[in-house]
Amino acid sequence: MKPAARHLWLGLAAAPVVSFFALPFLYLIAVSLKTKDDVLNGRFWPTAPTLANWPAAFEAANILGFILNSVVVSLASGLVTIALALPSAYAVLRLKIGGKWLSDVTLSSYMAPPIVALIPLFFLLKTTGLLDTRAGLVLIYGFANVPVAFWLLMPFLRRMPIEIEQAAAMDGAGPFRTLLQIVVPIIAPGIVATFIIVTVLSYNEFLFASAFTFSDATRTLPVGISLFQGDRLVNFGQMAAASLAGIAPVYLVALFMQRYLVSGLAHGGVK
Amino acid sequence: MTAFAVEVLEPAGAAGAAARSHALRARLGRLAWIAPVLVALVVTTLYPTVFLLALAFSKSTLGKPFRGFVGIKHFATALQDPIFLAAIGRSVAYALATSLVQLALGFLIALLFTSLLKAGRFLMSLVLLPLMTPPVMVGIAWKLIFAPAGGLLNGTLITYGVISEPISILGHPTLAWLAIGVADLWQWTPFIVILCFAALSTVPESVHEAAMVDGANGWQRFWHITLPLVAAPLSSIYLLKLILSFKLFDLVYILTFGGPGFATTSAGFAIYRRAIEQFDVGRAAAETMIYALVIGLVTLPVVRLHQHFERREL
Repeated sequence: MKPAARHLWLGLAAAPVVSFFALPFLYLIAVSLKTKDDVLNGRFWPTAPTLANWPAAFEAANILGFILNSVVVSLASGLVTIALALPSAYAVLRLKIGGKWLSDVTLSSYMAPPIVALIPLFFLLKTTGLLDTRAGLVLIYGFANVPVAFWLLMPFLRRMPIEIEQAAAMDGAGPFRTLLQIVVPIIAPGIVATFIIVTVLSYNEFLFASAFTFSDATRTLPVGISLFQGDRLVNFGQMAAASLAGIAPVYLVALFMQRYLVSGLAHGGVK
Repeated sequence: MTAFAVEVLEPAGAAGAAARSHALRARLGRLAWIAPVLVALVVTTLYPTVFLLALAFSKSTLGKPFRGFVGIKHFATALQDPIFLAAIGRSVAYALATSLVQLALGFLIALLFTSLLKAGRFLMSLVLLPLMTPPVMVGIAWKLIFAPAGGLLNGTLITYGVISEPISILGHPTLAWLAIGVADLWQWTPFIVILCFAALSTVPESVHEAAMVDGANGWQRFWHITLPLVAAPLSSIYLLKLILSFKLFDLVYILTFGGPGFATTSAGFAIYRRAIEQFDVGRAAAETMIYALVIGLVTLPVVRLHQHFERREL
C-alpha cells in the first residue's frame, strides 16, 4: 500500500475512536443548551438553543461554593502529597534509606480498594474533630495519594544523572540542600506532572468526600453534583450545565499541561 | 530497633557516648527522610487494617464502635448472605472482564496511534480528557445518554426504527451492567492507550527493520516481535486496571445506585451502604476483610504472570 493510502485508512479507523471519546462531552454541551421540552425529543443538538440552564443551575445549588471547596482541597492536598513523597522517594533511591521493602510496601498499599480505609478514617476524623472539615479531606487525600506520587516520581529521579548530585556533595552541600537546590529544578517537569495528577485525583474523588462531608460549606463538587441528581428537580439541562462547570477546571489544566501529563503518566506506568 | 537497643545498652566511656549520640543522630536523621511516607502508610494502611480487624470482631455501629466482642459472628453472617456473596462475584467478574476488554481495545488504539505518528500524538492528548473527567460527571453524561425519556441512545434507536418504544436501559439487570461497563470503558481506556503507547515506543525501530529485511510481513512482525517485547508491560497494565476496577463505586452510585434490585450492587457499594446507611459497621468491616482477601486471591495469578514475563525478559 502507498503511504498516502495507508494514512487515509488509518485516519478512517481513528475517526470512530475519536468520536466515541468526544460523544459524551459534546452531548453534555448539547443538553445544557436545551429547553425542558427539547430534552425529551431525543435528538442530539437542541432545536431552540438557550443559555437559561446555566444561571438556573448555579441558583439551584451552591455550585460555585462546591467548585471552590474542590479547588482548595485538591490543591492543598496535592502540596501535602508532594511534600511527603518527594523526600522519601529521593531517600529510597539515592540515599539507600528504607530500601526495596519500603517502595514495595508503599506500592502494595495502593492495591487495596479505598473502601477498606473508609470506616477507620471516618472514626479517625471523628476523634480528631476533623469530620466535615476541608482540612480533614486535605489530610486524607494528601496521605492517600502518597503511593501514587511515589510511583510517578521514581522514574524521573532515576533518570537524573547521579554525577550532578555527586558534584554538589563535593562542594559540601548536604543531601537536603542537594535535593532542594539541585534535584528539584532538574526534575521540575516530573514534579509538576505528579502534582497535577494527584491534584486531579483529589478533585475527582467521590467515596471519601461523600462520607466525610455533610454541609454545603465543606462539600466538594462531585458530592454536590451527586445530590443535584437525587434532588426533586431532575432537570437534565441544569444537570448538564452544572457538570460542565465542574469539568471545566480539569479540562483547562489538561489543555495547558498536556505535555507534562502524558509524559508523567507514561513514564510512571511502564515497567 | 534491636541495633538501636544494643548501642544504648553497651557500656562505654565519655568519648564512646559522644560517638554513640552522633551515630544515633545520624540514624534519626536518616529516619527523618522516610518518616513522611511511614506516617502516610500508618494512617492510610496499617491503622485502617488493625482498626477494621478489631471492628470485624465486635458489635459496632457508626455512632458507637466496639460495644462488645462477638467472635466470628459477622464473618459467618456475611458468608451466609447470598446478596453479599453475589455482590463479590459480580465485582470479580466485572473487574476481570472490563480489564480484558479495555486492555485489548486500548492496545489496538495505541497501535493505531503509533502508526499515525504525529497525528497520533495529537489524538493522544485529546483522548486524555475522559481520564481527567470526574467519575461522577462521567456517570451523569452517560446517564443522560441512556435515559429512557429523551436520552440520546433511545432517541437514535427510535429515529432509525430499531425500537418503537423507549427501553429503560438502566432499569434492566443486564443492560444496566453493560451501561456501567461502557461508561467505565469510556473513562479508563484512554489511560490504557497512554500506557500501551509508551510500552510500544520502547520497541526499537531497528528490530523491525531487521525483520523486514528477513522478509517478515506486518502480521508476523507484530506476532513474533512486537507482542513478545511488550508482554511484560501489558501484564502490568492489566494488573493496574484490575486493581482500579475493584474500586468501582462512583459509576454505580450515579448510574444505578446498585439497582434494579441488587442487580448492579458491587461489593464496594454493598459495603458502603451497610456502613453509611445501615450503620452496621462491625458487619461492614467483616465484609471488607472478605472482599480484600478475594481481591488478593484474584490478583495473585496476574502478579505471577507478570513476574513470569519479567523474568523471561532478563
